[in-house]
Amino acid sequence: MTSQKSYSLPSFMNSDSSLPWLLPLITMLIVFAIIPFFYNIYLSFHEFVPAKRALLFVGWDNWIRLFTDGVFWGSLKVSLYYTFMCLVIQLVLGMGIALLIDSDDPGFGIIRSLLTLTLVIPPAIAGMIFLIMEDANYGLIPWLLKSIGLIGPEDTILADPTLALWGVMIVDIWQWTPFMVLILVAGLRSLPSEPFESAVIDGARPFQVFRRLTLPMLHKVIAVAVLIRGIDLWRMVDYVFVLTSGGPGTATYTLSLYSWQRFTFVQWGYGATISLFSLIVILIVGNAFIHFAKVKW
Amino acid sequence: MHLFILRRLNGKDLNKVFKQVLGWLIAAIFFFPIYFWITVSIKKDKDIFALPPKLFNFEVSFSAYEEVFGISRFLYVEDMGAVRPGGGDFYMMPNLVDSIIIALGSTGLAMLISILAAYSLSRIPIRGQQHFMGWILSTRMMPPVAVAIPMFFIYKNIGLMDTHLGIIIIHALMNLPLAVLLMKSFFDDIPKDIDEAALLDGATRFFVFWRLIVPLAIGGIAATAVLCFIFSWTEFIFVLMLTQTGLKTIPVVSTSFVTSTGTAWDNMAALGTAAIIPAFIFILLVQRHLVRGLTLGSVKQ
Repeated sequence: MTSQKSYSLPSFMNSDSSLPWLLPLITMLIVFAIIPFFYNIYLSFHEFVPAKRALLFVGWDNWIRLFTDGVFWGSLKVSLYYTFMCLVIQLVLGMGIALLIDSDDPGFGIIRSLLTLTLVIPPAIAGMIFLIMEDANYGLIPWLLKSIGLIGPEDTILADPTLALWGVMIVDIWQWTPFMVLILVAGLRSLPSEPFESAVIDGARPFQVFRRLTLPMLHKVIAVAVLIRGIDLWRMVDYVFVLTSGGPGTATYTLSLYSWQRFTFVQWGYGATISLFSLIVILIVGNAFIHFAKVKW
Repeated sequence: MHLFILRRLNGKDLNKVFKQVLGWLIAAIFFFPIYFWITVSIKKDKDIFALPPKLFNFEVSFSAYEEVFGISRFLYVEDMGAVRPGGGDFYMMPNLVDSIIIALGSTGLAMLISILAAYSLSRIPIRGQQHFMGWILSTRMMPPVAVAIPMFFIYKNIGLMDTHLGIIIIHALMNLPLAVLLMKSFFDDIPKDIDEAALLDGATRFFVFWRLIVPLAIGGIAATAVLCFIFSWTEFIFVLMLTQTGLKTIPVVSTSFVTSTGTAWDNMAALGTAAIIPAFIFILLVQRHLVRGLTLGSVKQ
């Protein structure tokens, strides 16, 4: 829109109406977000029928299949477990590290800079890094765990139905705990110092100060961090794609991965139905969270 | 000397030293996988698979970089027929170029749309502004798969499949919520008196925006653009689903190094390292605005 002749557009945009300013955004969101949403609903009532080589109307079949499909329920469980566990671990770990490095002493600035680095690694490549580190034969992590006796000599991580999901989660925790740390440090640094000084003078113990002062004063920052991290955890697909492709068996299928996998198996309608379910869940939960945690933009 | 150090280490000082040590230990743990990945890119195969892992004492070789950047094409023409894991071609310059075109294009598009919208949202309140912002935020929640599946059919019909433009548009869409909300927070930081004074003096809205406000917000614009660039640079699932043969960005193409005949770890690591180093430099440049960016403008440093 800026490559226009500089005398024609300004007059168009000089009124105090916001429509011309918002029009490109609204157009973009309608064409590339609203239309696909309705297209997805359309797809969820259709399915590709190989015998007829066509996408045919199947009514509620996809939705009925969804609620009777064991793999779907399994992947829903995996998505919920993954989102919740990663969120809790990243928040607790992030808060601990943030409290530690919230300091003006020399050196902590560099530590904070080092922690930003994991955030810009493409998640697919972060998955690759851990794929070699968790390799069953020559991976660093199984080797370490075997040397200290946490897993048996024949055990693997990514091929083990109970450990595989943790093998994926460790990547997420590694890459995104710094996200929590940086946000919480910024929150801690913006707190006023007076209440803390008077609490210390009154003889409050550190844990009391943290519970009664720090946490309540940080609640807005924590809510924002949890919201954004929660959304991204729910949508995550890169790590499982790279590390396990959902295996062993269906042990690490998340909703997004299962939906993608059905799609590549030419079950277009069913894949769309799973993705739509995942979308509806996050829209409801996300907006409810914004409402109840009183997050404001 | 020893006594002097010991004396200084009592009480509070000891606490400080402990904090330093623990802080650096944590930074080292988080940095270690990156270091390990870089060493894989310059190791020879026998050292990559060594246990206990060789962290410092390995033979350095840059052949993986030569293959990825196509230097070996000019240096060792006679090796061209050699059989490698995957039996494939590791020349990745076209993919790097694709990645750069897509990241720059989508950043430009997202910035253009979002600066206009964010200025208006910051200066000219509309009815139901909260709902509108909520709608933008909801767009940020959509799982990529839920957009990519319908987009696959739409792109097939309108011919955007496998094209740079198609990926540029979808990456711009992905970055719009971030860009709009973040730019609005930067515009909100600039006093509205500036606009009002200029408007009273007879300046036009667009003049105020283009000549007064945009130059004042240039730091925020740069930070937002860098974040858009990085998110497009690292994006995976849209490129995976909306391209077929021609076009692959770095994150997607790097998964192709895993093949049935083995994994070319050194080449994969060389490409990965080449992809993350520019991102490292970028992120350190905008570190001041990073937290605000990661929280879509709601937490300020």
